[in-house]
Amino acid sequence: MDGTIRPQRFPDPPPPAATTRGGFHRRPSGEPPPLPHELGRTGRFWLYLALAIVLLISYGPFRAAVEHWDAVQLRFLADHRGPRLTDGALLLNALTSRWTIRILRWGTIGTLVVFRRWRHLLVFLGAVVAVEVVAYQLTLAIGHARAFDVRILADWSGFAMPSRPLVSLAISLIGIAYALVVPGRPRYVAKWAIAIVLGVLCLVRMYLAVDHPSSAIAGAVVGVALGVTAFRWFAPNDAFPVAYRRGKTAHLDVGGRRGEAIVRAVRDQLGLAVLQIKPIGLEGSGGSTPLRLQVRGEDGPERYVFAKLYAKSHVRADRWYKAGRTILYGALEDETPFQTVRRFVEYEDYTLRLLEDYDLTTPKPYGVVEITPEREYMIVMEFFEHAVELGDAAVDERVIDEGLRLVREMWDAGLAHRDVKPANLMVQDGHLRLIDVFFVQVRPSPWRQAVDLANMMLVLALRSDAPTVYRLALRYFSEDEIAEAFAATRGVASPTQLRASLKRDGRDLLGEFRALAPAREPIKIQRWSLRRIALTIGVAIAAFVALGMVVSNWAVFA
Amino acid sequence: MRIRAALVGLLVATALLPGCANSRNAVVSCGLDERSLVLTAQAVPSATLVPCVAELPAGWSYAGADIRSGRARFWLDSDRGGFHAVEVELTPSCDTSDAVEVRPAPDEIGARVYAEPIALDPALWANRYVVFSGGCATYRYRFAAGAPSTLSLEAEEALGFFPRSALVQDVEERYGLTLCGAEAPPCDG
Repeated sequence: MDGTIRPQRFPDPPPPAATTRGGFHRRPSGEPPPLPHELGRTGRFWLYLALAIVLLISYGPFRAAVEHWDAVQLRFLADHRGPRLTDGALLLNALTSRWTIRILRWGTIGTLVVFRRWRHLLVFLGAVVAVEVVAYQLTLAIGHARAFDVRILADWSGFAMPSRPLVSLAISLIGIAYALVVPGRPRYVAKWAIAIVLGVLCLVRMYLAVDHPSSAIAGAVVGVALGVTAFRWFAPNDAFPVAYRRGKTAHLDVGGRRGEAIVRAVRDQLGLAVLQIKPIGLEGSGGSTPLRLQVRGEDGPERYVFAKLYAKSHVRADRWYKAGRTILYGALEDETPFQTVRRFVEYEDYTLRLLEDYDLTTPKPYGVVEITPEREYMIVMEFFEHAVELGDAAVDERVIDEGLRLVREMWDAGLAHRDVKPANLMVQDGHLRLIDVFFVQVRPSPWRQAVDLANMMLVLALRSDAPTVYRLALRYFSEDEIAEAFAATRGVASPTQLRASLKRDGRDLLGEFRALAPAREPIKIQRWSLRRIALTIGVAIAAFVALGMVVSNWAVFA
Repeated sequence: MRIRAALVGLLVATALLPGCANSRNAVVSCGLDERSLVLTAQAVPSATLVPCVAELPAGWSYAGADIRSGRARFWLDSDRGGFHAVEVELTPSCDTSDAVEVRPAPDEIGARVYAEPIALDPALWANRYVVFSGGCATYRYRFAAGAPSTLSLEAEEALGFFPRSALVQDVEERYGLTLCGAEAPPCDG
């Protein structure tokens, strides 16, 4: 499961599809995308089984037959009761007690919090609450009494169908299997273990006559079906892999099915054969999964291209990040969140082409690749071979000059990069290259442009010194413009990586630049707006409602 | 598409079924068709009588039940008496040492009835115990401040008892099975 750090090799690219034309392949209507978003065969099986059981048991005439069959089975088991067997059954039945389920659930929640696996935590909590509500409503709707004809040997609560203790145990165990156990053999073993545990407990509860055979089976099936559906649909393995390794959770696993889907999609949509996929620069990127692909075009040599994989989770993360920043600092500028992942890649593709039009030293765009419609896309661009991140490169006056000229050219073109930091500036053969143009803004505010200048000067000074950078900056900017830049740049205006680099460096570069430039009052960045107030109140209300829901559903967990 | 249809089906079924549930199965009403009544009888198999809701007077409503092995409870809300103004609990036995015996109501013939006043001001708080063969029904009146004490009479009118023997006979006729416990033949196991 460490596909994000190990290159994925594809020595023999799969052959192109029959409908290929000039290396490209158009996906005909009805053909599944490279990486379909689906429940899978077993997921569908469990869902249909649960639905069938619920509908059949709710149907009057069938229910009478089921009740009769239940009674026959329970009588048979009651005839074989013995003191030792009963003691053993009572002991095993403790596994369905509220305490066992409580420990399992809180243990899972705690582990997910420790490993900061928020997506799985959310799906687990949602699935548990939903399953408990569904099971409770079903018991009331079906109104199946407890066993007739035989003495009930264990404690029970409420109507019998479906068995709520088995529903609760099943969803808890399935939650553990999907949220905590790594896919592959460990999860396969876990699923079999769950099947055995649930099977044994069904028998135990039937023996004790605390559940009918039909209600025990229905309980286990409903819990498993809804659990499997919830995790496969809302936290699919390919998008949210369970792995116990370091790294940002935003990065997607590019091994397995996704790796194969990338190869197929790049071949069909860009006409390039992918030979290797290697995740790179993960530490500097939180908003996408950056990849280096080794490719071969039609009759062309092998080469590298750079790709950024975007998923729906990145859109949500971006939306939350912007909302959080608006509440904490006020809307820094006219930042509006993207609504879909398609818009994400479309916008980045547009900015790459725009910067190329202005002849700026940015990567050449090759196109957008669809992995899963409306869920995952990849943007492919030129890879700067043998380039070194500015933070690790030798920086001479030529590089400094190119960096400052780049900002001037962007100013003149009416653009702002908005994410100038060491990880986004590369040095290739002694020349500066600008990457990651996702945040580029057309006709930004003067404040934004000023911040770009200050951030560029700070990044360059990290590899040289403030007086040199200041001196060279005067070739392209007036003293007032530089003063404005450092009056505008404080705290959150600089990217996190740049702030961390400045802290590590130890020199007060910001202070040095301010001392060199003419004095100017700081520009306020904390701005109150109606939107900020409404958003803050909205989030407070949502938090209150969520807390209320947790409190009202506390019995599910406590 | 088929998955979505299945999910929608499950959600619709879940959304619609509770409607049936609340109207039919959740209320412990005095009647042979009431599944909650059978469940209550199963909770305390020794009890020969099963407390239930006969007819709710104006201003009263059913507030839910908690039926489990060894104990069954349900609550009534009142527009004047407040939330959970009356709680009715069926148990195999109860402690009546702090209560005084009073005359049973007409539908309580054969039972011994005890009253235990707790407070009269600002509203009536009292317990009423109906002790019969194999069981005890406790009525807990917990009226909201300012509610008239006469509400207890309305509550007593609303509540009644159903003979277990009738339920045993109904289960036998309906399913050919035995509702194990009092008034029924011995069961397996």
